[in-house]
Amino acid sequence: MVQYLLMKIFRALVTVTLIVSAAFVVLRLSGDPAIIILGPEAPPEAFEAFRRNWGLDQPIWVQYFKYFVAVAQGDLGNSMRDGRSALVVVGERIPLTLAITLPALFIKLAIGLPAGVVAALYRNTWVDRLIMMLSVAGFTVPSFVLGLVLAMIFAVWLGWLPSGGSDTWAHAVLPTVTMGLVGAAVIARFTRSAMLEVLGQPYIRTASAKGLLWRNVVRSHALPNAAIPTLTIIGFLVGSLVAGAVVVESVFSWPGVGRLLVNAVANRDLAVVQVILLLVGLTMVGANLAVDILYGIVDPRLRIKRLQAGS
Amino acid sequence: MTHSRKLKGAMLIGAYLLATTMLTMPGKALAEDRPVITVAVQQIVNAGALDVLREQSNVGARVFYSIFETLIDYDRQNADLPQKPGLATEWKRIDDKTVELKLRPGVKFHNGDVMTADDVVFTFSKERFGLLDEQDNARKDGKTLFTASASTAVGGKVPPAEVAAVAKRAWPNLDRVEKVDDMTVRFVSTVADPTLEGRISRYGAEILSKRAYEEAESWLAFAQKPVGTGPYKVVEFKPDNILVLEAHDDYWGGKPPIKTLRFAVVPEVASRVNGLLSGEYDFITDLPPDQINTVESNAAFEVVGGPITNHRLMVFDKNNGPMQNPKIRQAMTHAIDRETIVETLWDGRTTVPAGLQWSYYGDMFLSDWTVPEYDMELARKLVQESGYNGEEITFRVLNNYYTNQVSTAQINAESFRQIGLNVKIEMKENWQQIFDKESGPRMVRDWSNSAPFPDPVSSIVNQHCQNGQQQQVGEWTNEEFNALCIKLETSTDLEERRASFRRMLEIAEREDPAYTVLHQSAIFFGKRKDIEWNWSGLQSMDFRADNFQVVAPGN
Repeated sequence: MVQYLLMKIFRALVTVTLIVSAAFVVLRLSGDPAIIILGPEAPPEAFEAFRRNWGLDQPIWVQYFKYFVAVAQGDLGNSMRDGRSALVVVGERIPLTLAITLPALFIKLAIGLPAGVVAALYRNTWVDRLIMMLSVAGFTVPSFVLGLVLAMIFAVWLGWLPSGGSDTWAHAVLPTVTMGLVGAAVIARFTRSAMLEVLGQPYIRTASAKGLLWRNVVRSHALPNAAIPTLTIIGFLVGSLVAGAVVVESVFSWPGVGRLLVNAVANRDLAVVQVILLLVGLTMVGANLAVDILYGIVDPRLRIKRLQAGS
Repeated sequence: MTHSRKLKGAMLIGAYLLATTMLTMPGKALAEDRPVITVAVQQIVNAGALDVLREQSNVGARVFYSIFETLIDYDRQNADLPQKPGLATEWKRIDDKTVELKLRPGVKFHNGDVMTADDVVFTFSKERFGLLDEQDNARKDGKTLFTASASTAVGGKVPPAEVAAVAKRAWPNLDRVEKVDDMTVRFVSTVADPTLEGRISRYGAEILSKRAYEEAESWLAFAQKPVGTGPYKVVEFKPDNILVLEAHDDYWGGKPPIKTLRFAVVPEVASRVNGLLSGEYDFITDLPPDQINTVESNAAFEVVGGPITNHRLMVFDKNNGPMQNPKIRQAMTHAIDRETIVETLWDGRTTVPAGLQWSYYGDMFLSDWTVPEYDMELARKLVQESGYNGEEITFRVLNNYYTNQVSTAQINAESFRQIGLNVKIEMKENWQQIFDKESGPRMVRDWSNSAPFPDPVSSIVNQHCQNGQQQQVGEWTNEEFNALCIKLETSTDLEERRASFRRMLEIAEREDPAYTVLHQSAIFFGKRKDIEWNWSGLQSMDFRADNFQVVAPGN
């Protein structure tokens, strides 16, 4: 198990290094932070001074080397916009993002899982079609469209909720619901597919033939077996908790990590982008690891396979 | 579900709501007769700090006028933008190089200090500009990439290098600002400078509290919570999120009419409009012309705004391909139907200006000058005379960095094709790609020019002369034009200056086009109709008592 975990961590480190390297090269080659941050009307001397100050006048391989040396020493750099530590800049946004992504995850699971199971159990009935119709709608309508429509209804027409900002808990409702509904649609579709596959398996027929009540067949045989693919998608959603709200945060002016990422990329504020990518990478890796461990708990066959492979 | 489970569920929800509230709730204003006003902006400042010498974009101008003031101000709601006393009550020329100003008595900074000549001298000092040798050395020492803040330029009292560069450009010939007495100062230039009063009034010449600057932990600390003399003081600044200002009740111009003034960042236009219509915001900025009807269709709201001291330009690189021939550039300037662009894309809410100048130039405004007339026949003739053989002309365009930029480019490209030019629009993501020489020959691009003070030096010299961006990036140069730049900057003879300016316009806009003016830029604000408030052509938002009044409170 330890060897398995070490291998996972090693792979994760390689993945994160590749992500950070790719981001470095792409951001450095595709835009000049000096002009973007200071504006196109700033004097040329200001651009030169800015570039000199941040080492942007050096060859890219020198910048890359210095960046990795600094990261290895625990220095993730400063924001080029205001000079503050990139870690601090990102860190102060994380609680705000989690304040909407965590409850959104709850909504996704609370609606998506039962909807998917019910759709599968009532396959090809009006219940299934209704759930799938809503699911496809939620899946295909872009979150920024859904967000604007919800804002139009609940903020502009009904006046029940604020349309944007982050001043009170009420401001969190619309972004949370928007993300929750879109995510629930995804989970419902995955859960339905997983359930349908399981319900078609011989052991389900066997269990039914033994005379087990249908609800017991579903609870004891179908649901645990359908949990594996569903866990995979849930792991992905958990992994995207930190930066998965880019669009919704922009639509609702929610000052979280997602909006910071958009601004940082637009400004080519590399240190901030890199910290966010590292954070997202680590969250994804952590979530995947947790899902891997959960696979073993949910399905003992996988645990045994791993033990056999390790021995 | 059992009772205890329900209770647990309720507690969990309650805990979440409490946590969310604690994370997000700002300090609430106490009961107060003056309102809390929220302005939704696309961005507070681009450069992430409240320093007028670092923030060179027009977005900063919106908020800075509430915090800072200059010695000479403008009647900002007057279309002609006449100068008026600001923190100085009167000023006079001592000689070609010197202007003396009497300071307004009883002006208090946000920290309670009374403004004196010492603050003015400090504001224009080498220390504040970051031009001291030790500051320069410190920056050189901290040149390492991505090091901790203490060793970068923002640590200590060393402003970033770009602040020094901007200060140098804003005050190219300033020798010193000297204290005559506590309430009198003199600006002394190294050479004759007819623009000195203009520079004293410009964006970037705002007076800072010397004591507050010196007591701040670092340049950054001051730039996060600067101390000026404006009617509102900074309470909270979170870049990309919110700027909260509070009434500075000791303001020399009278008690500010707003208790708390909030500038909230709302990047999406649709979200800003939704927020205005739902009552979340009292003002929204950066409203594109196509959204004006949406706001005005609601009787409780209105749109105000119009032309500003900024012109949209199309800029030429005369070094490459067919652009080397001035006739091609001349043809392009005649093929642009500026009036149609203004009528169709701007709903007639802006104007076609008289070249790169503004009427607020006063005596230096050339009222008989015009942009090249729209004449497709003349344009075709010029193309034929040029011997053009169909080479591709690339037109680099950003995706609506400027309002209506892409539509304007498409209209103009079509006109250029109609006069026989093979024009190809290249969409670019950012300015580096616009200026890039490696990816292909530069030929045509978009730009805008502002006039931060009422003199052609502020625009045509700053942007198109030897030290201006266009010549610095190597797009265009002209020997005669460059000689006139120096004359315009240093001559104190009005007629000579007017003649120089006229000839410069003839060269840069007609004979050897460096650029062509498309239209005057315009800004629009959506606002509550029950608030009486006027916009300014200088782009600042003025929330002083004489420009803000709620006529029907409680709505």
